[in-house]
Amino acid sequence: MLKNSIRRTAPFWLSIFAGIALWEIAGRSTSAAFMVPFSATLVRLWQLVASGTFITQLLDSGQLFLTGFVLALAVGMPLGMLLARVRALRVGVEPYIMILYATPMVALIPFILSMMGFGFAPKVLVVFLFAVFPVLYNTVEGARSIKPELIEVAESFRSGEWALWREVMLPYTLPYTMTGVRQAIGRALVGMVAAEFFLSSTGLGQLIMSASQNFDTGGVFASILIIGLIGVGLMRLGLKIEQHFARWRN
Amino acid sequence: MTETALRVSPPVAVARKPSPLLDGALLPRLIAGVGILLAWELVVRALAPAYVAKPSTVIMAIPHVIVDPTFLAATGATLTAVAEGLAIALVFGTGIGLLMGRSPQFERAIRHYVNGFYAVPMIVVLPLFSLWFGYSGSTRIATIIFAAIFSIIINVADGARSVPREFLEVARSFRSKRTRMLLEIVLPSSLPYLLAGFRLAAGRALIGAVVAEFFISIGGLGYFILYNSRVYKHNEAFVGVLLLAAFGVGFELLVSWATRRFMPWYRRDEKTN
Repeated sequence: MLKNSIRRTAPFWLSIFAGIALWEIAGRSTSAAFMVPFSATLVRLWQLVASGTFITQLLDSGQLFLTGFVLALAVGMPLGMLLARVRALRVGVEPYIMILYATPMVALIPFILSMMGFGFAPKVLVVFLFAVFPVLYNTVEGARSIKPELIEVAESFRSGEWALWREVMLPYTLPYTMTGVRQAIGRALVGMVAAEFFLSSTGLGQLIMSASQNFDTGGVFASILIIGLIGVGLMRLGLKIEQHFARWRN
Repeated sequence: MTETALRVSPPVAVARKPSPLLDGALLPRLIAGVGILLAWELVVRALAPAYVAKPSTVIMAIPHVIVDPTFLAATGATLTAVAEGLAIALVFGTGIGLLMGRSPQFERAIRHYVNGFYAVPMIVVLPLFSLWFGYSGSTRIATIIFAAIFSIIINVADGARSVPREFLEVARSFRSKRTRMLLEIVLPSSLPYLLAGFRLAAGRALIGAVVAEFFISIGGLGYFILYNSRVYKHNEAFVGVLLLAAFGVGFELLVSWATRRFMPWYRRDEKTN
């Protein structure tokens, strides 16, 4: 048992240690303004954690991320379902959702800045805009995958609206919606950092910005490391959610 | 595979979407489009200050913006950078992806880094890149490459892994060289994956370019939008957004057309995002 698990995880740890060693060597052999070794990054990270700035900024970013993301789900999922059910509406707005899905939403940030200023609301709007279209787009894609015959059969058996939703609509669209949710997690994270960079500077974004303005390369590396790890963790979570629902797809 | 699979006669490529003109989708689309524009116009007129972009004024701005030399130069700068960055990401991403797909040791060594960097929100590397490459075009190119390369690597590696075993066995029994096998069997057979990865990469590259221009204030479409919205020329700035949206959609359509046209056997169940 133990031997097996070691054999399975050994390549992972080996490659991680090799990466860290490479980072350490590269950091030591270049100037400190350019790159900071892994050990120094950890020390700087510990200073940030100990001084309390890190935790406050993390909570601040978390609040922004969650507010925007939950709003995107609260709007995107019901709207997507409505589009899935009402065919004429779906056919009508489909191309526009696709266009908005493919539009780089960052381009809207300057408009939001000059119209809404520096509060919390404009930043939530940015996260929302980044996250809502993947949910909508994928739900509509799922709705397209429902064969019209299924709904016809259900209706000819005088199925009620509730039963139709439970037996046909949800099982067919939810797996797609969850693909959208996974994409939305990644995009919301980008939106969060973009909002913190370009609107009022708060949270983890501010941590990086002030570190780079003070030429505190260690701080830049420490913040990037943390945001990277958060990104990887959230991506894993998204994949788990998606796979859980993917079993419904056939 | 199974008998049922053999009996299904119409190939996937035949089941193509009917054109929107024929199946009556045009009317609801027109109505929805007009409705959206109208709602936007009315809301802005009723609630927002006069400088905020609305359809009627944006349309009025289009003729003089698209002949404006600053706008054309900005578009050229952004597009050139995106094209350069994408080309570099494509070459190196394909190479690394092919190696990853065909060599288990190499795959195990770098898999976590590729997936990890892919999950990092690309925008956080900007402060670091601007430290490394300065406030210049190189930072923009570096950001574009970082944004684009990992989705290409991941998709090409997936494609290289899924090459039918028989192809390689035949090649091996004819004593084909490893590099030839990689270039003449593995690469063509993972082309659909490559295209899927490229589609994602193109979208991300566009975002990377705009974000870099915001961050380091160098000339390009992103900076054009930033500058004009700062001086309350929202209509002019919005023309830039329209152009970016057109590029985003254009890439999407181009790749799905190319997949259907040149690889009709390939089914669209690729990894997205």
